[in-house]
Amino acid sequence: MSANMDETVSVGYEAWADALRSERVLGVSCSDCGATYGTPISVCHDCGSQDLELVDLPTDGTLYSVTRVAVPPTGFEGPYHVGIVQLGAARVTARIETAAEDNPEIGDPVVLSGVMEADDGHPAPVFEVETD
Amino acid sequence: MTTFGVHESSLPELFATAALSAYDDAGVDPADIDAFYFGNAMGGQTENDTHLAPTLATEVGLAGVPAQRFEDACATSANAFKNAVQAVEAGIHDTVLVGGVERCTPETGKGTGEMTRIFASASHRQYEQPTGLTFPGVFALLTKRHMHEYGTTEEQLAHVAVKNHGNGTRNPRAHFGSETTVEEVLDSPVVADPFHLMDCCPFSDGAAAVVVTSDDSAASFDDPVDVTGVGHATDLVPLGLKPTLHATQAARDAAAQAYEQAGVTADEIDFAEVHDCFTGAEVLASEAIGFFEDGQGGPAAEAGRTALDGDRPINPSGGLKAKGHPIGATGVAQIVELTEQLRGEAGDRQLDDPQRGLAHNLGGDAGTTVISIMEARA
Repeated sequence: MSANMDETVSVGYEAWADALRSERVLGVSCSDCGATYGTPISVCHDCGSQDLELVDLPTDGTLYSVTRVAVPPTGFEGPYHVGIVQLGAARVTARIETAAEDNPEIGDPVVLSGVMEADDGHPAPVFEVETD
Repeated sequence: MTTFGVHESSLPELFATAALSAYDDAGVDPADIDAFYFGNAMGGQTENDTHLAPTLATEVGLAGVPAQRFEDACATSANAFKNAVQAVEAGIHDTVLVGGVERCTPETGKGTGEMTRIFASASHRQYEQPTGLTFPGVFALLTKRHMHEYGTTEEQLAHVAVKNHGNGTRNPRAHFGSETTVEEVLDSPVVADPFHLMDCCPFSDGAAAVVVTSDDSAASFDDPVDVTGVGHATDLVPLGLKPTLHATQAARDAAAQAYEQAGVTADEIDFAEVHDCFTGAEVLASEAIGFFEDGQGGPAAEAGRTALDGDRPINPSGGLKAKGHPIGATGVAQIVELTEQLRGEAGDRQLDDPQRGLAHNLGGDAGTTVISIMEARA
């Protein structure tokens, strides 16, 4: 047992959230098999290793899927777009904004544009559709 | 089971309505029941009501027996059913009551925004909820990817709603009892694109219950049907970790388990009740259980192949879309529909002498799926 029983937290949510507030998007990479995940988990799904490291994901990528939420939960003002962005080998759920009037579409290029914090201190990444 | 719709009754009294009719149907007394397997997904959030298993057991004359509550979002009571079947199969209990209850309508005092937030609690707390993702949104993301991959259209999705509403008019317990049209679906307001309001199941109140007994004891019951397979699998959560979003892999894995246990293939299943919380979910499910090739679920719905008179009937009950979706009751309500169809007791929605049916109950962001196969007793 390690001296610091909480040390696994350093690759977990708090580190992810702190980094996001600095406009870095962290995933984890398995030191044993190299698998990469878009959000922190404690055990590698591919090989079972517990040796996972936080890694910076690219802050630009493409839209893997996207929807316009017209009926929001309490605490949110709609409508808005939520999507899954492909960042290198990993995918992350994010708020999607678009400068153009067009709705964002699958395959659109996106870039991290900020961080929102509408949900009890839980940050979420915001990506913007890149226009030509 | 109860009607699905709006109920003023408390959770215990609503559940009792379903449980007493299950006792009556099976010809059992509470003294014959060895255990209680129960599902309720959100009573703590919606009605400040938890530790419901012994409360409901007390309500229906079962105080004293082991009673356990399951929670797996929308797959809540299918998981209760799975555990009940396995316990009976293992000889731990001989005869058990399985059921679920939920209230989701404004009878709970919660409005659309509050309920939308409670439903969203089944998505990842840290990595999804802070974006404002909703459950229509979750299934919209899955369906949009399917549309992108295969060319599935909004019109094809609307045909699912039209078919299920039509079936629902033949089901006296359905929440909705009216027909709809493709035009009405497409003209209804957008909830989360591609889903219009009429692509979405309603918020419903209701309860369902069944009695599960051992193979040996079943002969002494009136008109039993056989459970020949129950598969259960999970997928990675949140959505971003799932390798192929629109595959709903847990459903494929659970179906493979159930088919192997039953010794059958998808082609030998006469009909299915699937988890059509949104029209797109039925299309994805119809492919995941092997009724259609990947990408053919949309065209099959449009062509009428899943209708009551089609070659692969899906959701003869009206499904979640028309019958309604009281979350924790839905899985067992599917088992009730399979039972009535296999007995030939489904009235105006009765299929032509089905011998084998499948129930597909999905929870959360497709992170859980339970697949059950049932057969008419020879």
